[in-house]
Amino acid sequence: MIVLAIDTAGTGCFAGVYDAGEDRLLASAGADIGRGHAEQLMAFIDQALADSDRALADVDRIAVTIGPGSFTGIRVGVAAARGFALALGVPAVGVSVLAALAASACQVRPEQAVLAAMDAKRDELYCQVFEADGTPRTDAQIVELADAQIRFAGFDGIVCGSATRHLIAKPTPGVSQADACDIGIVARLGAAADPAQGKPSPLYLRGPDVKSQAGFAVARA
Amino acid sequence: MSARLRILGIETSCDETAASVVLREEDGRGEILGDVVLSQLEEHSVYGGVVPEIAARAHVEALDTLIEEALLRAGVTLSQVDAIAATSGPGLIGGLLVGLMTGKAMARASGKPLYAVNHLEGHALTARLTDGLAFPYLMLLVSGGHTQLILVKDIGVYERWGTTIDDALGEAFDKTAKLLGLPYPGGPAVERAAKSGNPDRFSFPRPLVGEARLDFSFSGLKTAVRQAAQSIAPVTEQDIADICASFQKAISRTLKDRIGRGLVRFKEQFAGSVEHPALVVAGGVAANQVLRATLQELCDKNGFRFIAPPLQLCTDNAAMIAWAGAERMAAGLPADDLDVAPRSRWPLDADAKALIGFGKRGAKA
Repeated sequence: MIVLAIDTAGTGCFAGVYDAGEDRLLASAGADIGRGHAEQLMAFIDQALADSDRALADVDRIAVTIGPGSFTGIRVGVAAARGFALALGVPAVGVSVLAALAASACQVRPEQAVLAAMDAKRDELYCQVFEADGTPRTDAQIVELADAQIRFAGFDGIVCGSATRHLIAKPTPGVSQADACDIGIVARLGAAADPAQGKPSPLYLRGPDVKSQAGFAVARA
Repeated sequence: MSARLRILGIETSCDETAASVVLREEDGRGEILGDVVLSQLEEHSVYGGVVPEIAARAHVEALDTLIEEALLRAGVTLSQVDAIAATSGPGLIGGLLVGLMTGKAMARASGKPLYAVNHLEGHALTARLTDGLAFPYLMLLVSGGHTQLILVKDIGVYERWGTTIDDALGEAFDKTAKLLGLPYPGGPAVERAAKSGNPDRFSFPRPLVGEARLDFSFSGLKTAVRQAAQSIAPVTEQDIADICASFQKAISRTLKDRIGRGLVRFKEQFAGSVEHPALVVAGGVAANQVLRATLQELCDKNGFRFIAPPLQLCTDNAAMIAWAGAERMAAGLPADDLDVAPRSRWPLDADAKALIGFGKRGAKA
């Protein structure tokens, strides 16, 4: 099975072509671009396909990161993935950024549970705990920093992601404290996912931040 | 290129998620083969207006299913489509991104050209789909996001004669409704309330009336409505009805002046060359009966045909986007590259100047 993996959930914009049978990332393309994902994604996909000597017609599945991360970035990737899936007649699956970060950390310390913790700004963080085999121990959630510090004070595993520094004094050597996904991991998790779980859908973990306008109206008799 | 064209259209610039397949015959006639619109009215109603983040979230969940449905209803497969047209501006950037990225991916996967369509061009060309209208003609776009008088000269050739310098007309209706505790969207609610109201009870301002330039302004009217309402609060049902009726009257008189001048200008500019001048109305506010009566009367007086496409083609839809793509393709205009960026601001008229308040980023639309 050939998987086309897409990640636009953070500042990076990446595409990868992965052969699930060989468990090998054939090629990837992309960069940490900060912004402009909508403009550059197609070119990175073209490059990854060309470098892997594959065509879109060879792709059996689309895997895309669904967040948490930039709301806009997530939607760029998810919309593209669902468009590809519809036009190619192949399934698209979503991969959580927290799961991808945890899977990367597991490669460094395979025997330990992982807490993936991303800085969500506003004194909050996105976090999720995974067993050593990648099975989620908790749901992905958004937690206030102070609460997280209490909750995870005695955590028995390794911590990864940009919020690591808020939770532990000494990060595990070799474990990433960035929120950038490894596109090969995204592809592998996508290959292992079950398409029957539905189309990729953004994992925002945070509401749209709007206030009700009640109280705007003049008083009625 | 003037073959028979089938175009898939995608529209996500505001609070309607829409997909459509439109056929353009070689002779220029058009037919809507499949058309699906999912309104997000419910999601936004408690906020009294469109919330961009809520809109973007809804678009990404619904769009691919709607495209599938539009193709199904049209009885065509993606491979039988000649091009994909997606709205790429102006509008809410979160929604535009969803539609444009879906369009790009589908274009790349199917090998079809992508047309990144200006939403306003969709409205501008609709009358050619519905009525086969010949160029040139005048178009009045009155919606929640836009209030523009546009001279439609040819495909891709437009002159913005007037635009709002502050609020859009539909926005003025929405804000009036919100102030008076009427439901969203405000247009139908205000119109309903106005039916039993006295249009002469309040004398609201008619901004820019008498000015030679053809622009619009509605924020002063909004303020006057608020002050009037607050001065008599708590308001009774009759007060609300009277405010709504007076508000509509002020708008009607403003438009009579503004559009009247536009019609005269059109006649002067095309004296002798256009036998049957026409005014086309588009946008959700086109549903307002008082506005329609005003425009009809103006057109009758000035010898214009008044063309109001069916309401579902006046409000946001994807058939107009597909049609604009078809017209562009048939005219031999180039398709867009897949690095095309969505543009929250994108005036139809490249020469349109930014009006006061729109700053360095240029004209909004």
